[in-house]
Amino acid sequence: MSHRNLSRRRALKGAAALGGLAAPMLNTVTTFAQSGAFNWQRFKGQSIEVVMETGPRADLVKKHAKEFEQLTGISMGLEIIPEQQARQKTTIELNSGKPAFDLFNIAYHVQKRQVEKAKWLFDVTAWTRDPQMTPAAYEFADISKPGLDYATQSDGKITSLPMFVDYFMLYWNKELFAKKNLAPPKTLDEMFDAAVKLNDPDNGIAGYVGRGLRNANVVLYTQYLSGWGQQTTTKDNPPQLLTDTPDAIAAAEYYKKLLTTAAPKGVTGFNWNECQGLFMQGRAAMWLDGIGFAPPAEDKTKSRVVGKVGYALPPAGPKAHHSVFFGGGAAIPAASSKKEAAYLAALWMTGRQMTSRMLQTGGGVPFRSAPLKDNEVLAQLTIPREWAETAAGCAPISMPGLPVIVPVTQFRDTIGTALTNLLGGADAATEMKRATAEFKPILEKSEQG
Amino acid sequence: MTATTDSDAPRLAPARAMVRPRTRRRLRRALDRIGLALAVTVLLAPCLFVFFWMLSLSLKYDIDNTAWPPVFIPTQPTLDNFVHVFEESPMLLYFWNSIQVTGSATLVALLLGVPAGYGIAKARAHGLAAMLLLSRMTPGLSYLIPLFTLFQITGLIGTVWPIALTHMVITLPIVVWIMIGFFETLPQELEEAARIDGASLWQAFRYIALPLARPGIVVGAILSFIYSWNNFIFGAVFAGRTTRTMPVAVYNMLTFESFAWGPLAAAAIVVMLPVILLTIVIQREIVQGLAAGGVK
Amino acid sequence: MAGVDISAGTAARRSDDRRLRPYLAFIWPALVVCTALIIFPWLFTIWMSLNDWHIGSARTFIGLENYIKLATDRRFLESIGHTFYFTVLAVFLPLVLGTLSALVFHKKFRGRGFFRTLFIMPMMATPVAVSLVWTMMFHPQLGVLNYLLSLVGLPPSQWVFATGTVIPSLVLVEIWLWTPFVMIIVLGGLASLPNEPYEAALIDGASQWQMFWNITYPLVLPFLVVAMIIRTIDALKAFETIWVICNGGPGTASETLNVYLYAQAFAYNQVGTASAVVVVFFAIIVALSLVLLWARQKAKWA
Repeated sequence: MSHRNLSRRRALKGAAALGGLAAPMLNTVTTFAQSGAFNWQRFKGQSIEVVMETGPRADLVKKHAKEFEQLTGISMGLEIIPEQQARQKTTIELNSGKPAFDLFNIAYHVQKRQVEKAKWLFDVTAWTRDPQMTPAAYEFADISKPGLDYATQSDGKITSLPMFVDYFMLYWNKELFAKKNLAPPKTLDEMFDAAVKLNDPDNGIAGYVGRGLRNANVVLYTQYLSGWGQQTTTKDNPPQLLTDTPDAIAAAEYYKKLLTTAAPKGVTGFNWNECQGLFMQGRAAMWLDGIGFAPPAEDKTKSRVVGKVGYALPPAGPKAHHSVFFGGGAAIPAASSKKEAAYLAALWMTGRQMTSRMLQTGGGVPFRSAPLKDNEVLAQLTIPREWAETAAGCAPISMPGLPVIVPVTQFRDTIGTALTNLLGGADAATEMKRATAEFKPILEKSEQG
Repeated sequence: MTATTDSDAPRLAPARAMVRPRTRRRLRRALDRIGLALAVTVLLAPCLFVFFWMLSLSLKYDIDNTAWPPVFIPTQPTLDNFVHVFEESPMLLYFWNSIQVTGSATLVALLLGVPAGYGIAKARAHGLAAMLLLSRMTPGLSYLIPLFTLFQITGLIGTVWPIALTHMVITLPIVVWIMIGFFETLPQELEEAARIDGASLWQAFRYIALPLARPGIVVGAILSFIYSWNNFIFGAVFAGRTTRTMPVAVYNMLTFESFAWGPLAAAAIVVMLPVILLTIVIQREIVQGLAAGGVK
Repeated sequence: MAGVDISAGTAARRSDDRRLRPYLAFIWPALVVCTALIIFPWLFTIWMSLNDWHIGSARTFIGLENYIKLATDRRFLESIGHTFYFTVLAVFLPLVLGTLSALVFHKKFRGRGFFRTLFIMPMMATPVAVSLVWTMMFHPQLGVLNYLLSLVGLPPSQWVFATGTVIPSLVLVEIWLWTPFVMIIVLGGLASLPNEPYEAALIDGASQWQMFWNITYPLVLPFLVVAMIIRTIDALKAFETIWVICNGGPGTASETLNVYLYAQAFAYNQVGTASAVVVVFFAIIVALSLVLLWARQKAKWA
């Protein structure tokens, strides 16, 4: 006992000398401080609570949770909640100052700016550099630049570990294309032409399906917009809205044209799951959405298009060719009392092995390059290799989808309403200008506060 | 014409009916019967169809559930969806949570609400009854943020008790409302006689009114149980992984990767089963109790 | 539901007090719990409605600014319109259908108890679960409702997936859930009707319709008003069906006050704005209820 206390005191002194790093170090330096090497078992006996959004990542963590518990001796309580509710719940709890969880999967494209401004997250910068806390096998340097950008706050602190990136890709029905002798489109114009040719409402076949539901549709819109080489805001600080520029209006017009001509009736109410339902029933020829939807489409109990799905890069626009991306990571609340154990869980979830599994099952693409190049990993893909190749092809042309601002949800609702109005016949220029004007004061206020 | 009461009417009516030709009467009765049968069918069909479709969805594989034209009677019936529901989430735990929340909220509501209903009915304190109406008018959502903050401070979050406490907002007004209606219809004489014999107000309530009010209490208990059981939004905000109630668990069945219509329908059936069974067991009392509540 | 005596003079009040006093002991425990559960959130809400508070940032006192902003907020004003549209339909239709079904179920026939049980099952069913099932049925391509329409030769509808049909479609769910409730209340009214007027009417050779309109309807009216008051409060507050089925969409076409409130509070984390919405919302509910209670009083005297 006594020499442990001694070493602890010495370590504390050392830590204090490091000044700014002292706070996180205090947590790190516990009884194992003298041992030097990384040890998964170091925080044995603790128990942590984890909140994740419903989805393939959560399913994977749930499936392999036992493995983590055996590896570390830490018991993990996993709560899986649908996306929207998960984000709302984590926000309320973080704000209360006493979150009931020690680790959660942060949706960067929605929550990043908010958690940063509110200073809700624990700074793990020092731990990522500490070989006692982050093993070499984690290959921190393999994390891609966009991932690291997402995980790094504007003050330079790293407050999460990037887990997965979600690109946009085109799913196309090979059978329907073959019937009409068509090739998968390479540009937005080709996509429109193909959609019109494939559209056959009398036989219940839609040429194209994509998100029309308010809020969700903005994500699809940003993909079109990227074809004009533009994002929704500038990169300035504070960011300026770009949703009423001529290019933004052109993209909105394209959105209107495609979804009102070749999409099924009721598309205004479609989120990804309605789109997916139609596509998997073989009743939509094309579907442009995130990359995570391949596994059910290749599952015989759920899909009528098994083996008939083609995967392609999103078509290029008139001015540029991009695939928009969104992403998630694992973050620890600053108020957690079990940060070390939570950090180990974050390491495990975002590490090489788990992200390789995620790739193999088509659950998402890691924010790392090694698994994508690893033939052993690719050999065990449970879905067509074409999917993995397309995903890899998205990386070099990737571009962030949603703006990094606090009121992302309000942004998506406001612009999304304008987009649904377009589907009801409204004029693109009028709607985009109105929505932009409506959102502008909200954005400005959020940047002041 | 006006609804004047003629004291001779009861005697005259049958006589007049006799005058009618028999065959016409029979025909008329048959037509009435057919009309009635038709009306009952028309009313019940939409009501039952939703339940039927729910059952049908829950017994089919998803590939059939999204098929067109729809498959009504499962060709390959399966219980996989139910198995999935119980495997994927600790339904029994959620069931127990729901029982705890709803049970305690109902029990406390009865303890407090039955005497209150009695007091309000006897004193004809309509102002106080209106207070209860106010609580029914308040949008449930408006409780969430303040109460969440309060429970956070008191450290109750993470247990089922904050959920049970908020459910009192639902159960207490129901119980009081039903009990006011019930006590108002009870005859006064027995209690008055007891009071003259020297019983206290409490004794009159405890030994005279309460036993007579048992049917009312049963209805109040069942209704508040059902409405508390069905509540979603309080649980959605206050419940954590281990304290989730059944409706929240069903909502969480919405899966990411597909149209999981089968498991969803199965989960819907699982959550509804207890309340539907209760309804069937006790429908007569519910109808009477609710009707009595509306009488005043 | 208990009525409010609007005409309470001071003399009447004094006698009220005397009557009330011995029974206070019965009432106060419930009253304390009820007010504690309600008063605290109310004070909190009113105070917050005077503040600008976005979860995660600092809170600042801004007086009535939230209310002023709401007065010009297009989405908020539209949501009031949607709420009224939804409420009118969701009160009127169940009322008519509920009365009709009460008349049917008031008749004596074999198996009445059984059929009545089947009929009241929807109002006991868990709304979230029911809403999820309706969502599946509404799907414009894969849903069973469009198939049923096609069976009777009607063109498919887009149900909750189009701006024009979303609110009527949601009302359909509301009708399904709450017609039994109206039925039960009216049934209670029918059961308490005296027989004499009908017998007299029969002698006078009145038709079924005349009897309904001149005898049944006026006598049942007070019950209808009770059902209407409760239905109005519940329809104004309807949340779970709308939120689960279409979350106020497409666009904001079915966004009622309650759904808007949810978005402000839990999606945008604007607690200040949300609190102001609650206050306005509550004022609307109370005002409408008072109008209906007043109507009830009139119906009683009529």
